[in-house]
Amino acid sequence: MKLNFDHQGQSISVDLTPSGKSFRLDVDGETVEAQILQAKDGKLDLLIDGKRVTAYVSSDHTRRWVTVNGRTLLFNKSSGGRRSSSGHQHAAGELTAPMPGQIRAVNVSEGDTVSKGQTLLLLEAMKMEIRVQAPRDGVVKKLFVQQGQTVEREQLLVEIEEL
Amino acid sequence: MINKILVANRGEIAVRILRACKELGIQTVAVYSDADKNAQHVQYAEEAVHIGAASARESYLNAEVLIQAALDSKADAIHPGYGFLSESASFAGMVESAGLIFIGPSAESIHLMGDKAESKIRMKKAGVPTVPGVEEIESLGDFERAAEKIGYPVLVKASAGGGGKGMRIVWEVNDLSEEIQAAKREALHAFGDDRLLIEKYVANAHHIEFQIFGDRHGNLVHLFERECSVQRRHQKIIEETPSLQLTPGLREEMGKAAVAAAKAVNYYNAGTIEFIVDPDTHNFYFLEMNTRLQVEHPVTELVTGLDLVHWQIWIANGEQFPFDQAHFTQRGHAIECRIYAEDPANGFLPSTGRLLQYVEPRGPGIRVDSGFVAGDNVTHFYDPLLAKMIVHAEDRPSAIQRMQAALKDFIVHGVVTNIDFLQTVLSHPDFQNGKVTTRWVEQNMETLMESANSLVETQKQSIGLHIIAAALADVAIPNPQSKIENEPDPYSPWKAANGFRMGGTHG
Repeated sequence: MKLNFDHQGQSISVDLTPSGKSFRLDVDGETVEAQILQAKDGKLDLLIDGKRVTAYVSSDHTRRWVTVNGRTLLFNKSSGGRRSSSGHQHAAGELTAPMPGQIRAVNVSEGDTVSKGQTLLLLEAMKMEIRVQAPRDGVVKKLFVQQGQTVEREQLLVEIEEL
Repeated sequence: MINKILVANRGEIAVRILRACKELGIQTVAVYSDADKNAQHVQYAEEAVHIGAASARESYLNAEVLIQAALDSKADAIHPGYGFLSESASFAGMVESAGLIFIGPSAESIHLMGDKAESKIRMKKAGVPTVPGVEEIESLGDFERAAEKIGYPVLVKASAGGGGKGMRIVWEVNDLSEEIQAAKREALHAFGDDRLLIEKYVANAHHIEFQIFGDRHGNLVHLFERECSVQRRHQKIIEETPSLQLTPGLREEMGKAAVAAAKAVNYYNAGTIEFIVDPDTHNFYFLEMNTRLQVEHPVTELVTGLDLVHWQIWIANGEQFPFDQAHFTQRGHAIECRIYAEDPANGFLPSTGRLLQYVEPRGPGIRVDSGFVAGDNVTHFYDPLLAKMIVHAEDRPSAIQRMQAALKDFIVHGVVTNIDFLQTVLSHPDFQNGKVTTRWVEQNMETLMESANSLVETQKQSIGLHIIAAALADVAIPNPQSKIENEPDPYSPWKAANGFRMGGTHG
């Protein structure tokens, strides 16, 4: 059985074969023997190549939160083959909300010429003010939000077209 | 006589205060907004009153509703916690006018210290050293002239401010106008007051504050310092006591200044005098006074042995504070790490979501003050502080080791946290040698993030274990996406696996 996980844009595939009470796993060319001693409430007690490992795993749609040795990593489980579409891979010039919040001010209109670093929008969340700035010189092609509107993380706010 | 207390706050501090009330046999009332119906502080109290919508302005900042809730529930006193209305002189005044006890200083003291401009003027009169700056100016022209005279970089900050809100560093005259506008807007939203003051920005300073404590009968002592220099976005993330920066002589001098500052406003109850200390000259300057219990009060509790919340309640009840300065010593070393739902790789912006897993560490010398359990939602309405972890050990190196080990056992899934970032800071030579100043995180951000990332890349073995665990969890647990009604976490694959012992039954 083949599984694919993306981590920070890097795809890692795992080939997993049950063998008796254990599993044989092939991770990027390296093979290990693993046994699940106990799995309870998101905590896994594992025996990997004879060594005990405690792992915490949570699943949230395709996302996997995994903690081993005090380090938590976030993976995206993909069906394999294709690149992950998660993360910040938006078309160049499309600015998205870095966090959920409310649009406090819209300083530009569609068609405006803007210069790199110019503040386009003000987003307020958790009592902090975040400036959404132009990544380059350009023209405001489309505004997707208005003042007072509540936005989700990663929601498209404004599109800037290169001159 | 205080028999029943309404806690006008939420999150970890509400739980911490409610716990103290229970210890003293005092009845408790919690308050909650629409977003907090099932929050831990609500579950922890004997009574709970709904006070309004999720937005803080319509709930935790609504003074009239809070006071009415206290009157309706027949509480004798209100504890404001920190943040929200804790430093509102008008709230303290309204509480007293309603015939209730405000657990904190007098409205007059809050008013005098709450205004950063007025308090600075008063401190100068009391002989407490202050940062060079100008107060009570308004026009851009005045600010430009003041900045020119003081010399860039300068700090513009809200007169009514605190907690890093409405505060901007300005490096050159070209940015002054925009930063003043931004600070004003933030100040208006956070405090309803957009007056600003300007002062010299001391770039590489230590933030060292002194806890003070006094009663209504004129007894007032300091409870030593807290070193709070590890900050991001002007907010503290690691605090400790004692500070490596202070010699016994400097500690005594600063302690005396702290007591003088508090006495200048006839202060009683718990308060904190913040200083900045120049590491080269060891000159210290009064920054501001926080007229409330601080987030980081537990480190002081651990080295002095005092329970500050117990004493806040007794003092509010009119009792004497029976200890003089000579009574107190600092025993051992304490460190606090603030566990925030925030993403250091994304500019420390808050991360929201449901806590899929939440496991706190346990062990000797470990204290966790928290307001969340697994299944709770972290929303964007409030401060993203999940918990504070405080360790106590015999000296600083052992306290750092204890913190590092305990952080490894702190499991949070569902929101991104700063736990890995805290580990990176704790293991850094600058932190270990006490060289961290308030801009250190900002100045070293790139290398700090790099070292965190390279750790992942070079430790292929480590990421390999993560992948193996993820793969095994996926195949070993039957029907991972099964959704069961009333399941606290509908996305958890573990519902069907409670106590499930693995055998060879998977396909």
